[in-house]
Amino acid sequence: MKIIRTFSLMIAMAVSSLTAAITAIPAVAEALTDASEIVRKANMAYYYAGSDGRAEARMKIVDAQGRTQLRQFTMLRRDREQGGLQDMMVFFSRPSDIRGTVFRVVRHPGGDDDRWLYLPGLDLVKRISAGDKRTSFVGSDFFYEDVSGRDPQADKHTLMDTTDQFYVLTSIPKDSKSVEFASYQSWINRATLLPEKVEFTNQKGKLYRRMEVLKTDTVQGYPVVLQARISNLDRGTSTLMQMRGIKFDLGMPANIFSERSLRTPPVQWLRKKP
Amino acid sequence: MNFFKPSLLIILASMNLSVFATDDWSDDNWEEDWGTEETPSQWQWSGFLEAGYGSRLQSDSAIGRDKTLSEIRARVELEYQVDNWRFDLEVDGLYDDLLHKSEIQTRVASISFSPLNNMDIKAGRQVLTWGTGDYLFLNDLFAKDWQSYFSGRDDEYLKASSNSIKTSWFADSFSVDLVWTPRFTPDHTLNGDRFSYFSPATGQSSAVHLNPDEPAGSSWSGRLSTNHNSVEYSLYGYMGYWTTPLGIKANGRMTYPELNVWGASLRMPVGNGLFNSEIAWYDSREDRSGDNPQTANSQVRWLAGYEQEIGINLTAAVQYYLEWTQDYDQLKSNSATPDFEQDEYRQLLTMRLTKLTHQQKLTWSLFSFWSWTDKDTYLKPSVSWRINDQWTVATGANLFYGRQKHSFFGQHKDNSNAWLRVRWNY
Repeated sequence: MKIIRTFSLMIAMAVSSLTAAITAIPAVAEALTDASEIVRKANMAYYYAGSDGRAEARMKIVDAQGRTQLRQFTMLRRDREQGGLQDMMVFFSRPSDIRGTVFRVVRHPGGDDDRWLYLPGLDLVKRISAGDKRTSFVGSDFFYEDVSGRDPQADKHTLMDTTDQFYVLTSIPKDSKSVEFASYQSWINRATLLPEKVEFTNQKGKLYRRMEVLKTDTVQGYPVVLQARISNLDRGTSTLMQMRGIKFDLGMPANIFSERSLRTPPVQWLRKKP
Repeated sequence: MNFFKPSLLIILASMNLSVFATDDWSDDNWEEDWGTEETPSQWQWSGFLEAGYGSRLQSDSAIGRDKTLSEIRARVELEYQVDNWRFDLEVDGLYDDLLHKSEIQTRVASISFSPLNNMDIKAGRQVLTWGTGDYLFLNDLFAKDWQSYFSGRDDEYLKASSNSIKTSWFADSFSVDLVWTPRFTPDHTLNGDRFSYFSPATGQSSAVHLNPDEPAGSSWSGRLSTNHNSVEYSLYGYMGYWTTPLGIKANGRMTYPELNVWGASLRMPVGNGLFNSEIAWYDSREDRSGDNPQTANSQVRWLAGYEQEIGINLTAAVQYYLEWTQDYDQLKSNSATPDFEQDEYRQLLTMRLTKLTHQQKLTWSLFSFWSWTDKDTYLKPSVSWRINDQWTVATGANLFYGRQKHSFFGQHKDNSNAWLRVRWNY
């Protein structure tokens, strides 16, 4: 079984179009047979193609009784090094009680990410411990890890099938105690390398969590996800995420990813670009 | 300022609802594309209406009143952004049934701009926070509101605002913040209005209204910060006054003696959690030899904490805190009430447990202070239910226990209270 880097690219592409950027791959490309090769190429392209990106996102969170909550935010991302350190910030604009809240991540692939939350009411920069990546991101069905990325090395990945359209992979966590799933299966589009579906199975062998891509597009030559949904089948909850205003290669300076931007958001990069 | 009654507050707040009616933010159009992004307005409005009620869980003979909180609050927040200039206004209209008064409280009224690429300035009324402690403040000498904290108001109100100018300078590998508060702003300490306090002069609990003299001078706060390999380091300095009235003037009036504070902190990942430590030297400039019983002695304060997730959506945090009073023998031998002085080494442990359930709509929290040197305990349990994006209901208690009537938390035994708040965000 090959140890490859699948998970983070799938989630990243599915939920964060910021990170979903690849160079054009011909639709009729010869099928890749090495799972690690699929993931290596896709991961590098998706996570680190383009030096930076921004997108506006909104979430509709639906509970088991059908009651909804909404979230709206703008994300900025910049790579510090190819395949390595990466900065990300999430600026919340809605609803009003979390407006001004900012989430900042420094991704350390293979290690623990550094994470901060800025609470404007108290002017407090709160650092978040590394342990709780698989907890809900602002009350949604997305985990923190779904937004900032899961360590690709945390799972063992196997190519199970290659269909006309998809590479089908199964992934198993190396440390099963650190996560709530026993395994997950993913369907990666052969042409775009976007994962279009990921299904998580628990220890009892029951499918309980699903990510599905509902709409994709191409921005500046990069395939991106415009709509994705994560459903918790156990609880009957789901979260729909929609993206817009996606731009890559904006030339963001490194120093905007700092404590300074928590208190003083870098509006020139947050606002829509003509 | 006695401007209006609660009904007017509601009307005022409701008027702002129309602002969002045309916003690209609703439950519509989720079936289709989100559409193209609109250029956001330079104006942003929001706020909330809130009712709060709290009551003692026992009677307090010193204050003779059970209510600890009874108020309606209307918040209006306005943000205006143009280029690199930003104006923030946050105003609370408050009807305080406990103190029988209506008032307008300006929480924030500030202008922010960047005169240089690597410099930010924020001037005006603002809320300021730094340091690494959780409910413990060593190098953060910015004004706190302990009345709000003890009465169950939202955590936000623990920090009071001050009229200050904050200048921040950002270099490649470090940053410097300098805050000048032209007129020193003390904490809102317990003054007998809402809560009683221990009076060393009488040896009894008292609710006599305290009105300490405020010095007319300014205060300066500075911080140098850097972040290296995921470790955050900071150095701090403060020149101003004690933020609580720890001095008595020759005329017998309470006041805030001069104080300098120098300190340092670090915060870093350790294991699966976060470790933080902070130290501060409190230089009580008006009593450096420690023999003046009318002025607080100098102190060394030290904090070490660790936080980790111990279960799904369950986080635990512990802190050890030390206050080491300097020249303690001098203090004891000169004090008029040596039995009521705090220990030379006042120590306490805090523990925070936070559990989120029901899609994080319910937050269960318990914060506890326990001092074995003071032989007292302060528990802050609370449950907050965010019903939806508009409504939040929160309830909790402030529970004080102690063997001695003069100790830091023990003196508030009769102030123990339970509270309930309902908030509607718009």
